[in-house]
Formats: sequence, structure tokens, C-alpha cells
Amino acid sequence: MKAKFNTKGFVNSLFFSLIGIVAVLILWTLGVNYTTVGLLLPTPMEVLERAIYTMSNPIGRTNTLLMHLAVSLRRVLVGFTLSALCGVILGIAMGRFKMVEAIFKPLFELVRPIPSVAWIPLAIVWFGIGETAKIYIIFMAGFVNITVNTYAGAKQVDENMLGVARMLGANELQAFFHVVIPSCVPYIFAGMQVGLSTCWMAVLAAEMVSSTEGIGWTITAGQENGDMTQIFVGIIAIAIVGLLLAVLMRWAERVLCSWRVRGK
Amino acid sequence: MNTEKINTAKKQKRKYQIISVLSVCVFLLVWYLATAVFELAPSYSLPSPVKVFNTFLTKLHSKAPDGATLPKHFISSLQVAMLGYLLGAVIGVPLGIAMGWFKTVDKIVRPVFDLIKPIPPIALIPVMIVVFGISIKAKAVLIFFSTVIPCITNSYSGIRQTKQIHLWVSQTFGASNMQMLFTVASPSALPMIFAGLRVAMGSSWMALVAAELLASTSGLGYLISIGRSLLRSDLIIVGILCLGMINIVLTAIFNLVEKRFVRGGKDE
Repeated sequence: MKAKFNTKGFVNSLFFSLIGIVAVLILWTLGVNYTTVGLLLPTPMEVLERAIYTMSNPIGRTNTLLMHLAVSLRRVLVGFTLSALCGVILGIAMGRFKMVEAIFKPLFELVRPIPSVAWIPLAIVWFGIGETAKIYIIFMAGFVNITVNTYAGAKQVDENMLGVARMLGANELQAFFHVVIPSCVPYIFAGMQVGLSTCWMAVLAAEMVSSTEGIGWTITAGQENGDMTQIFVGIIAIAIVGLLLAVLMRWAERVLCSWRVRGK
Repeated sequence: MNTEKINTAKKQKRKYQIISVLSVCVFLLVWYLATAVFELAPSYSLPSPVKVFNTFLTKLHSKAPDGATLPKHFISSLQVAMLGYLLGAVIGVPLGIAMGWFKTVDKIVRPVFDLIKPIPPIALIPVMIVVFGISIKAKAVLIFFSTVIPCITNSYSGIRQTKQIHLWVSQTFGASNMQMLFTVASPSALPMIFAGLRVAMGSSWMALVAAELLASTSGLGYLISIGRSLLRSDLIIVGILCLGMINIVLTAIFNLVEKRFVRGGKDE
């Protein structure tokens, strides 16, 4: 069912996409200009102008839009890296060793169903409203997803392959690095995909509850000042960065495990 | 010899179960010792498990300090979640199926959908508050958004993954386009649709908690945010554990429904 690339089809689909997007923009503009919605919402042009304006002019005290994004991204990066490290280690250990599974599975099952956003108040009480609290929240958001997926992957290692490796004289360590890890990698990446987007969501929530900078803060600041244009600029920036993160992750997966592309 | 094997396997299993129980007990014991006996952490930041349990019991009937009992918060959260979730599922699944099946719908709706998809629902909270106020409506619309997106994505790819051969067979037997959609494509997309509904449940629950944290007057998210402003971490922990419990129960119910309605499809 894979569509072949042909110019006619491409132009055709581009045409329809344009119709869809233009229709939304026109409806938006008309709605704002001619109905009571206009009292609340800005027009698309205003949002675009503001977005360009805030690229070079600060929102709040000092940070421009890009700097706010950078602050949020740094938090996500730190939290996500930590959670990927811990999640992969715990996941593989739980999947491969019965003892570790018996000890940590019940504790993990206690933490797993808690929505990451619900950690925010506790994190604030524990760590204050500084960076640590935010990184903790992001960590919890990524950790759960990555561990669940890695665990599932480690459980599904083909025992036959392990047997073959052992029969051909591989010791435990070699079998682990040459059979177990490679067959877990697609699962780990699936977990990291979900984890990264949840982390991006968690940083927003954390910044919206309490912070003084970051892209989530620009939205709440906009809400407090009744500045809808700023809220929309924030939302669009968040959406674009979220999309970029997802694309980046998918690209990394394609490059790093080219032998097995998921979702084919 | 065979029974012997089974017996040792059973023994092994029993051994690991005991270790699991022990691990939880040790965790609770360490928590208890660290807080109640040695007082390593101040009680406002980490209360002892006994205190958490007591708070849970008293919250079941007492209204202090946040104006409603635990069951009341619980019901108010669940009500909003159900409203938004059902609305999202009822609109999202058919729309996703239509997008997957009818080329024209796909071409028109897809670009709009691709625009909305990457927006995390949490980012929409301020807009919802400005447009709808701090009402049940704002939260329901928010949850609607976080439900509708995974529902559409999964129904769409579920329909798209229908085996071409199955469609050919039904065509050979003279099925109309609609018959093909309802008797071949939709049932074979069911596992994907259910996966989407499951994802939607998780994300809508998260969005609800975020919304209640930011602005509300009832619900479990409100309970934990009050716990934070009063520095009552026992209250927060009770709230968090309840949120986790509900998630477990909802997932269990969901699994039952899925088992009842979805046949096959696991053998991909």
C-alpha cells in the first residue's frame, strides 16, 4: 500500500493540504474579526507578528522566546538523559534477572500508574521551586515509559538465539552484549520516543505550576496578563519544538538501528 | 519426573513471590524507620507511612482542610474525565476511521489534524481557562483534546493497515464500499483502535491532573495542590496514591472490555 512518489500525486496532496490550512486560517481570521470570539482571541497575523517580535525582544524581564525555549530544553535534556540511563538499566535488569524482577517489580508497579504531573506538588515540597524539582518531575515522566518498554523488550529476547550464542562458545557477558542488548534496542527506542514527548509535556506542566522562566512560564504569564497573543505564540513554539524532538528521535532511531526499522 | 519438574518450578515461583512481598515490606519498614524513628526528614516533607494511612482514613469522612471528602474529590475528577473521554472517543474514532477510508476526508482533514497534533493538551489549559472559565466545561474540553488525538491517529493507522488481500476477497464476493468498511476494515482495525483508547486514557488522566493543579475547586489534583500550599505532604501522598489506584482500576476494566470485544489481532 506504499504510495509511490509521483509529481502529480504530490501536487494534488499539496493542493488539498493548502486548502485545509488556508481554510483554518481564514475561518480563524473571520471568526476573530466578525464574532464575539474576537474579544478573546488574536488573529493569526497578530500571532505571527508577535512571534517575530519576541524573537529579538524579551518576554518578561530578560529572556527572548528562543532563550525561554532553550531553558526548557535544557531541563528536558538533563531529566531525559537521567531517566533514559536509569530506565534502561532497570528495565534490562528486571527483564533478565528473576531476582531483580522479584525485588523491584512490585515497587515499580506502585510508581508506574501515577501520572507524572501528579508529582509536581510533592517535588515542590521536597526540592523547592528550583531546577531540582523540575528535573525530578521530568525524570519521573521519562523513567516510567522507558523502563516499561525496555522491560518488555528484555523479556522478549529470543531464547533460541541466546542458546545459539552459548553453544558457539559465548560467555555470559558476550551473550549479553551481542544478543540481549541488540534485541532490546528497538523497544528502548520506542520507550524513548514516548518518554521524550511525555518529558516535554511534563516540563510544561512543571513550569506552568511554578517557575520564573521557560516556555511554560510564558504561557502562564500571558494568562495572568490577559495577553492571549503571547499564549498563542507559546503554544505554537511548544508544538514546533515538540514536533522537532519527535522527528529528531525518529531520525536517531533510523540511524542507530538501521537493521530493524520499527513500524514497517 | 515431570511432576517433579513442575514442583520445582512452583517452588521457584513461590520463592520469588515471597521475595516480592519482602521487598515491599522492607521498603515500608525503611520508610517508617527513616521518618518515624530516626526522623531523617522533617515530617512536613516526608511523613511516616502510618501517618499517610491515618490521613487516608480521616480524609474518607472529614472535609478539612480542603472542603470536600476524598470520595467527593474522587467522583468529581472521574466525572470530568469520563465526560471528556467519552466525547473524545465518540468523535475521534469515527473521524479516524473516515480519514483512513475516504481519501477526500483524509486530504482535507489531515493537514488540519497535523497542525493540531503536536500541541500538548497541557499547553491549552490557559486558553481553556480564558475561554471557558474555571468550569467543568474547560476541563472536559481539555480532556476531549487529549483523547481525540490518539484516537484519531490509531484508528487511522488501524484502517490503513487492513490487509489488501482481505479487501480483495470481499470485493470478489461483491461487497460494496460501505460493506467493506464495516465488515472487513473496521473489525481488523479494532486492536489498533483499542490501543489508541488506552493511550488516550493515560494522557487524558494526566491532562486532568494538570488542569486541576492549575485551576479548580475540587478533584484529586486540587487536593494535592492544597496539600502543597499547606505543606501537608501526607495529603499529597494520599492524593497521588489514589490517582495511581484509579489508573490501575481503569486499566483493569479496560482490559476486560478489550478481551470481550477484540478477537485475534495479537498475532502480528
